[in-house]
Amino acid sequence: MALYLYLQFPALQLDNVSIAATSALPLAVVDEQHRIIQLDSLCAERGIKFGMTLGSAAALCHNLQLIPYQHTRQLELLDAVAQQLYQLSPDIALDPPDGLYLRLCQILRLYQGLDSYWQRIQTALSAMPYRYFYATGNTPLAAKCLARQQLNLISSDGEALLAQLQRSPLRFTDLSPDIQQQLQRLGLQQLGQVMALSQAELARRFEHGLLSYLGRLRGEFYHALDYIQPQQGFSSTLELLYDIIDTAVLTTPLKLLLQQLEQQLKRADALCHQLLLEIRFRTQKALTVIISSVQGEYRAAQWLRLCQLKLETVRLTEPASGIKLDVPRFAPQRPDSNTLFQPVQGAMSALQLTSVLQARLGRAAVSGLSLQNQHLPEQASGRPLPFSTVNNEVPALAVRPAFLFQSAIALTEQVELNSGPERFCINRWQPQLQRDYFIGRNRQGQWLWLYRTAEQRWFVQGMFS
Amino acid sequence: MSALLEQLTRRQLLWHGNSQQAAYQAVASGYAELDKQLAGGLPANGLIEIQTEQGIGELRLLLPYLQQQHQDGRLLVMISPPADPCADMLAGAGINLAQLLVISVKNNKEALWAAEQCLQSGCVAAVLLWQVLLRLAQARRLQLAAEQGNASLILLRRPQAALSLPVNLSLTLAAHPYGVLLNVNKRKGGWPAGPFLVDMQSRWPALSYRYDGLKQAQRKAG
Repeated sequence: MALYLYLQFPALQLDNVSIAATSALPLAVVDEQHRIIQLDSLCAERGIKFGMTLGSAAALCHNLQLIPYQHTRQLELLDAVAQQLYQLSPDIALDPPDGLYLRLCQILRLYQGLDSYWQRIQTALSAMPYRYFYATGNTPLAAKCLARQQLNLISSDGEALLAQLQRSPLRFTDLSPDIQQQLQRLGLQQLGQVMALSQAELARRFEHGLLSYLGRLRGEFYHALDYIQPQQGFSSTLELLYDIIDTAVLTTPLKLLLQQLEQQLKRADALCHQLLLEIRFRTQKALTVIISSVQGEYRAAQWLRLCQLKLETVRLTEPASGIKLDVPRFAPQRPDSNTLFQPVQGAMSALQLTSVLQARLGRAAVSGLSLQNQHLPEQASGRPLPFSTVNNEVPALAVRPAFLFQSAIALTEQVELNSGPERFCINRWQPQLQRDYFIGRNRQGQWLWLYRTAEQRWFVQGMFS
Repeated sequence: MSALLEQLTRRQLLWHGNSQQAAYQAVASGYAELDKQLAGGLPANGLIEIQTEQGIGELRLLLPYLQQQHQDGRLLVMISPPADPCADMLAGAGINLAQLLVISVKNNKEALWAAEQCLQSGCVAAVLLWQVLLRLAQARRLQLAAEQGNASLILLRRPQAALSLPVNLSLTLAAHPYGVLLNVNKRKGGWPAGPFLVDMQSRWPALSYRYDGLKQAQRKAG
């Protein structure tokens, strides 16, 4: 027999904001018609109710904080919750704006029963800041109807669920207000009374919507659900309750996002090399900061350290109103190839150290050194990215100075030549470009690498050390 | 009286002239005369201060030491070198370029920060730091970081009459036609040593003075 779970999140947008809040002020979300549609426990204590107008709510509570309802934001959050739950339960369909259908038929075999399945789902949900109501049902709509009554009912007993469903008041169904009113005028208050009536009678007196709803509720009609596909990568947004201009303070809300990322990476057994942190402002365009790790990390603590270093170099000109963390790609976890008995040398690996240095000093400031197969001194040393593959085939040339100046300096002092010349002819057809290299020592005892051009002019190319 | 001596010894307030235990683990420098003067070689970790002019052979003095230090697969780091390091020379001296990091910094603060990060990490064998201003407290901090990560920090600075820093070893180098003239200013657990010559003629024949060579090429450019 089919079994569905319905999860309803009464205050997604509100709960998402209040995790960043530290003060105990009553918060509520209002829609465009100035009705309260999401409220927190503090509001409820003051007597504010769902659907109340803004005027009455403000009269009840003078320091009420309001957040405008954003439909796209709500959908983003709902989708994020679904993506998190996808790791535990594969068949999830969205029911905008605040519900999720979970199909349990196949998955219960994996968890060996409804109880252990629900335990896992509950653990995952408790890691999120959202309040929720839930119920199971034999069809998606039955589960939804029970969950909307806030019954919090987990059972696979079909008879009990049906009995509960038949006791449900009509206002918790998906029927249009017109049909509900018509039914109430007939003295029908509960769903069971409607279901007891013959279908032919109902078809004659009511419009098509009622029959189709009842058919889907009973499971007689096919109810198509659009199950979600897992997303690649990670994306999460956090609206800040207060504008933040100090980047050091910004790391506190960022930590929450990184912890979510860590959970997702852990479940996918993956790591990521790059984070895109978008800092949103009220008037300016959003600023995107790229934080990268050469080694690839999944731990929130490591990413937080890199973010802190990177954010130290960022100066905000306007207070930030929100942050968004994007990870476009995950990379597979690489197994550690170190042997078990090798002594642990330090807390960090070379790649981690490079990431830390790059985060603070900039990517270009940290480089490796490689031998190029070039005889020209200007091109003989490459400055690749650290630890890029080194060409071992190239033999090192004989006597070369330790340091080469980026552009040769004209010689202005007395130098005693010690050895040479070594002739470099850059192109055979350009004899005027030839250089004769010498090793010389100046009065201070410094060893210099000099060259003489075809026009007998002298330059210092480098310095032995 | 003997009871008092015993008490002082136990609290490590008394230093015996004849107790010759090494204050640090020494790594052979590759130059016999230097090893003899330093009773074994250069310290394997901690701070080494070298007061020197540029280009007189200071890096050549250190290359065998650096080569030994990074043999265990750890990194060598160069922070703000005076000019672009040349791969040929380092590779020729046996330095594995895959284990070398070159860091360029904008200011003194960044240089010190990078040095501390490298020293602490445990994956770095030696850090070479050029021309950096260092206060006493900063030197102490770097020394602690170096001990934590079992790494050595080599400070290459111009000769200066500043306060002596808490370093394991402090050397002054002077130019010499056959190598460098070396003076041990300070050594942990040992005595300073007078100027002596570290001969590099056999190791670097091209970079030691030849009387017969190219006298005629002496010239003044203008």
